[in-house]
Amino acid sequence: MVTLLKTPATWPRILLARSAEKDPTDLDAAVAAGAFDGLRRAIRDLGGAATIATIAASGLRGRGGAGYPTADKWRTAADTDADRRYVVANGYGADPASHTDRTLMLRDPFAVIEGTAIAASAIDATEAFIAVRGEDSDVIARLSAAIGAATDAGFIGADVLGSGRDLWLAVRPVQGAYMLGEETVLLKALEGKRGQPEQKPPHPATVGLYDRPTVVNNVQTLAAVPWIVRSGADAFRATGSTSSSGTVLVQLRAPGKEGIAEVPLGTPLRDIVKLGGKLQAGRTLQAVLIGGPSGGLLPPDALDTPYDFGTLREAGAHVGSGSVVAVDDRTDLLELVGVLTRFCANEACGKSIPCRIGTKRLAEIVARREGGLLRPVDTQLAADLAHDIVESALCDHERLATFPLTSGMRYFGSDFDHANRPTPVATEAAR
Amino acid sequence: MSLVPGLGLVKGMALTLRRIFEPKVTVRYPEVRLDVPHKFRGRLQLLYDEWGTLKCETCFQCAQACPIECIDMGGIDTRGRYHVHWGAPETYGERREESAMRRSGRPVPDPAYRPFEPIAMGEVDRILEEYDHDPARMLHILEATQDAYGYLPVAALKRISHATGAWYAMIYGTASYYAHLRFEPATASEQAAAVADHRPAEGEYLSALGAALEGGGRPGAPARA
Ligand SMILES: Cc1cc2nc3c(=O)[nH]c(=O)nc-3n(C[C@H](O)[C@H](O)[C@H](O)COP(=O)(O)O)c2cc1C
Ligand code: SF4
Ligand code: FES
Repeated sequence: MVTLLKTPATWPRILLARSAEKDPTDLDAAVAAGAFDGLRRAIRDLGGAATIATIAASGLRGRGGAGYPTADKWRTAADTDADRRYVVANGYGADPASHTDRTLMLRDPFAVIEGTAIAASAIDATEAFIAVRGEDSDVIARLSAAIGAATDAGFIGADVLGSGRDLWLAVRPVQGAYMLGEETVLLKALEGKRGQPEQKPPHPATVGLYDRPTVVNNVQTLAAVPWIVRSGADAFRATGSTSSSGTVLVQLRAPGKEGIAEVPLGTPLRDIVKLGGKLQAGRTLQAVLIGGPSGGLLPPDALDTPYDFGTLREAGAHVGSGSVVAVDDRTDLLELVGVLTRFCANEACGKSIPCRIGTKRLAEIVARREGGLLRPVDTQLAADLAHDIVESALCDHERLATFPLTSGMRYFGSDFDHANRPTPVATEAAR
Repeated sequence: MSLVPGLGLVKGMALTLRRIFEPKVTVRYPEVRLDVPHKFRGRLQLLYDEWGTLKCETCFQCAQACPIECIDMGGIDTRGRYHVHWGAPETYGERREESAMRRSGRPVPDPAYRPFEPIAMGEVDRILEEYDHDPARMLHILEATQDAYGYLPVAALKRISHATGAWYAMIYGTASYYAHLRFEPATASEQAAAVADHRPAEGEYLSALGAALEGGGRPGAPARA
């Protein structure tokens, strides 16, 4: 199991508050620690509209990467006329190097289940799915056990908490592609179709699973919901930054230490990187890769940037999968950018032209740089191509696929300048 | 059928006539963007490469997008799979030009047409029954079929298409997208290799992150000033 990094005592614990339980599927212990209080309050005292209003007041934003206000999504789904509505908890965890969502589901399955149940009751849905990786049998087993226990205790299932409404929850394993993490692709997979994204709008909140209004939320987003309903919107607002409240899980990798930490939004990057301990003697920090395979590379000067949806985006990175990788001065950044761009091009679904061809061309340009065979026009070409991809992309994947290269060129220009790279011939001669 | 014979034709012509006299507008893309219908794919045209052979990769995307299921094709796809079509092979030219063969990694001279392997249908029918012939549970049906036969036989896909009413192109599209589904029998290690081959960049990504932490992209790379 992944290690949890020790965080400063002043950082609040919201998502991992119950993570010390010995047996995470022990319902009685979880209930003693407050599980399902939120659901009871949402159903008995608040009702749908007031629950959504509470979430709106708390300032909760989506943890899936984009930071979309959660209450807006719920309200849209609740206000759309339909015979059925669905909630899908996105626990796919597309980035193979980030274990944040999976750690949450393993450590506190009831928080995810309760959050999903509250979302379903708020938008008047009777069916909800938790989508997880098909190859991750631990997560599937734990969630299934927890759902079984919660159903037996009457927290979900038929006639929830005596309210007269039904709420059925199921784990849905999917596997086989990075893109399955994207919400429209995930819905396609749940419908048994080829995993290619749909144009947005219409967003899933109006036309989603089986063409019904569907709330798709990251499991971390949903796990924060019970806490908010129980402790109040103001308590949640008090944590995190002014623009985004609350905490997120970060998968930190630094030379010497790796693990998961619960970090309040708005924390300066410096404090996050510090959790990873000291660099080896004689090494200096060269860059921080933030956001997973489509993440941005930020230089050490940018360590004061708050870890927040808006500020990271401005700096050329994004929260993404919650992965933060500190690389020291031995790493060849150009090679790293090559690997990332290739990964994104390879996982592109092939539906739209920026996706099918744009990302491939971008990977080719990076490969020419890596090989020291840069053409004089390539720097301009890369910038233009990246711009065109961002402008014309069908889904977010292509837009984000440009991040490693554009952030690299922005902050590490000289590394990316072909004049500073040995040509293959010169390298041969040097051997 | 309409009551007046030919009324549909007149209606259609009337629409054409009206459209002819409507003012033409040029939209200043990308500043202004029109709503694009869900299945719109632009103008469809088969292209030829510089050697005069069709560029079509038999990927079935156009067939999946086609709203009235009028596109179909036969031959081999880029991953070397024969008989990916739905209808009878006589109705289209099978794609077996040299370039198509080479692209899919098949030996080039392969003139004989081999009908797909017949299979015992009992298992597929049991699986279809179990999943209520529900096309919305296609992934489960395919996974169960693969468990039963060890791979996805073309004959089974055709049966599934018949029984669920889902287009063959859609089922093929689903089956060819997910890395864990396969069209040929494979051993476990071959399957693992095939999945890795399907997604070659994932391993590279993970090992690059590992290498970055150990220090240096390449083992033994010198520190840079
Ligand atoms: C390429 C790509 C991969 C994604 N992967 C994930 C993922 O693994 N998990 C996730 O929760 N969201 C992922 N997302 C974001 C989802 O599309 C969606 O925005 C999110 O699940 C919505 O939940 P939220 O409102 O709670 O953020 C991904 C998006 C893209 C473009
Ligand atoms: S099958 Fe694929 S490559 Fe061939 S014409 Fe259709 S979309 Fe193009
Ligand atoms: S990845 Fe293909 S359209 Fe976005």
